Amino acid sequence: MITTGSKYCFGIAGLGSLGALIYMILINPSDVGVLALLGIAIAMSIVGGVTQFTGDFDADTVSDAITVSASAPANSMWPLLLALGGVLLLVGMTTNPIIFLLGIVVIVAAGIEWALQSWAERASEDSAFNRFVRERALTSLELPLLAGGAVAVIAIAFSRIMLAVSPENGAIIFIVVATAVLAVGFLIAVKTNLKKTSITAVCVLGAVALLVSGGIAGQSGNREQLVSAAAEEHYSHKDCEETASKYFDKNSEKTVSMKSGILATIRVKDGKLSAQLIGLDAPVATVTVARSNQATILFRNLDDEEHRLVANLGVKKVGETGVVEKIVDCTQMTGKNQTQALLLKINKPSASSGPYTFTVPGLEGQEIALVVP
Amino acid sequence: MSHEGTLPVSKQNMTIFGGVKSQGRLNRKKTAVMAFGVLFMAGCARDAPQDTWQPKGENASNINTLQWIVFPLAGVVGVAVFALIGFVLWRYRDKGQAIPHQSHGNPAVEITLTIIPALILSVVGVFTFRGIFQLAQTNDTQMVINVTGQQWWWEYDYPAQVVNGVEISQPIITAGQLVIPTDTKVLLRETSRDVIHSYWIPALNGKKDAVPGRINLLRLQAYKPGIYAGQCTEFCGLSHANMRMEAVALEPADFATWVANQQRNAQQPAQASLAQEGEGVFLNQCIRCHQVNGLKKADGTAAIAAPDENVYSGAAPNLTHLMSRNTFAGAAFDLVTSDCRKNIWTASPEQFGAAYLEGVSPKCLNQTNLRRWLRNAPEMKPMYADPTKLASSDGKYRGMPNLNLSESDIDKLVAYLSTLK
Repeated sequence: MITTGSKYCFGIAGLGSLGALIYMILINPSDVGVLALLGIAIAMSIVGGVTQFTGDFDADTVSDAITVSASAPANSMWPLLLALGGVLLLVGMTTNPIIFLLGIVVIVAAGIEWALQSWAERASEDSAFNRFVRERALTSLELPLLAGGAVAVIAIAFSRIMLAVSPENGAIIFIVVATAVLAVGFLIAVKTNLKKTSITAVCVLGAVALLVSGGIAGQSGNREQLVSAAAEEHYSHKDCEETASKYFDKNSEKTVSMKSGILATIRVKDGKLSAQLIGLDAPVATVTVARSNQATILFRNLDDEEHRLVANLGVKKVGETGVVEKIVDCTQMTGKNQTQALLLKINKPSASSGPYTFTVPGLEGQEIALVVP
Repeated sequence: MSHEGTLPVSKQNMTIFGGVKSQGRLNRKKTAVMAFGVLFMAGCARDAPQDTWQPKGENASNINTLQWIVFPLAGVVGVAVFALIGFVLWRYRDKGQAIPHQSHGNPAVEITLTIIPALILSVVGVFTFRGIFQLAQTNDTQMVINVTGQQWWWEYDYPAQVVNGVEISQPIITAGQLVIPTDTKVLLRETSRDVIHSYWIPALNGKKDAVPGRINLLRLQAYKPGIYAGQCTEFCGLSHANMRMEAVALEPADFATWVANQQRNAQQPAQASLAQEGEGVFLNQCIRCHQVNGLKKADGTAAIAAPDENVYSGAAPNLTHLMSRNTFAGAAFDLVTSDCRKNIWTASPEQFGAAYLEGVSPKCLNQTNLRRWLRNAPEMKPMYADPTKLASSDGKYRGMPNLNLSESDIDKLVAYLSTLK
């Protein structure tokens, strides 16, 4: 007699063989797909053979050893949500990646919930006990996830509001909201006889107000000040002069966390500029950067004065005007014993408009050659 | 007195057909022995340049020492476990018997089966950690080379440095073949321009991934002069299988000669020669991606390649000294004929340097391969080179496209490329 497990394996093997045959006829007889399908067929035939030989996964035998709860499964919304997730997945595949990702999230969540519910329903014949088992297993998962989601929604909604209003109004809103939250919290703590429905109503009202305000703020966009700063490239324009820049050097980076990707380290110590490559102890006068590839140069300032590292990357003509403009890139102003990373991607070799150099404004006559082969 | 008539039917069959059954058993044994023999003999291949059991440098020797400890241990454990599984499957298969008594827990067995693997792993762990620290050592590095992977070739650039008294005053850039001095601790700093690749020359060290945006370190050292083959070991797209590499180890004196040659610019071909016409074709076609140092345009300015505008990775092999290497197209194809290749690969350590430094002579040039490549590169090596299917890469090629060169242009280009030694 062919056991249940073997039937399953032989069935898949048959489907795999049939699929391979159809693939060969309709698509390409020498494609990798044929090999994959035949591989599945062969693997499942072997597993089926072993299963048949050992009598493993024989439902009749196994059922003797398993006690199955007699109670019928309870109603569940998870299959419905699982199907919805599948729809979102398919729709997202052809329309929007966000919908696709949402589909995956829904499928995973519904799948876990459904599986655990089914598992709990077999725990005993007491449905109340089964519910307890389910909640015990899932609450530790559901609560942190729901709380995390709620925090994310609150943070996004609140940030939209703060970006839309002026800094002055933002401060007022923040004070008012924080005071209101504190007052409500205090009231709930003190008035222990408050009705649960009243607390729920207040929380729901607050959540709705936050969501609506966040939505409106998101629609209206950032405040004028931020829009004009972006248009004037306050964030991307780099002032590479000796003195500190109002925008570029504001809140300068003080830590670097990408040591594994560093090509070279350039230091300023006692007013002297030096460079070192990973693996070589001796300082080098030339740093080589591969063309068209991201390279990270670490700048370490060991002087008392603030410095910045500047990469001088030749010149370029501005449009058809004939005006020649220097191409530079630099770190922010770096304080004593601080380190910054300079990320470079240079598409043209130094022979094209070089020489390229690393310099530090204020340290005249010193440079490290930068060669792009 | 015969007992034949009183034997059970099955026993009778055994007696009657015993001879046939024995013959079948014998055949099965023969088949098993033959299968084992084929597998065993497969390990005796002579021409196996990527054999991990034949280290040719210190780092690979360290790995080899470790695998000689781990493999036998793992082999014994593996065979014992599989044999036990097989025995249990066969001995206790379902024959319609009742389900045996189900018990749970046996502290003595559980403790024993925890302690034995822990002891084995402790022994393996000691040697593994020792090996890891040996391979990670970089503080005695004598030479640094930047290695950049891209679909589907490796670029090597040698930063300015002094190696064993040989000064590399200007960075050297080459592709396909990594040239290193013997008995020198060479530190490779690997990265990638597009996807993750993995650098592996089994005779000199283990694998190390080349990851975009990161620099991973791998040290090589070769005891003797020779060519050591390897290949990319991280699936990186269509021509992953054709992304090969070769490390060429030269005696320090030969390495100095190689460095001196690599730091020279390309020579201009003779006036009114076929090679000079080929230079014109190169300036019209190939310069879009391939750099030749020292090549000048008609107006006397330097000819600068623009691979960043045409190739997804933003780079193409520098061809200044193409004929100083034996391979091309990601070391996937020989630039020399099979006889010349054999002469170089089988040269004695004393003669290897001279044989390699001779480069690709006109007699040794594999014209068939080079012409096929120039005629239609994607036909030789699968690449994303169909102009109508480049939407996902902003219209840029991954690899070299078919340039639709005429046979006359191919003749000229071959003549020009032959001068790039």
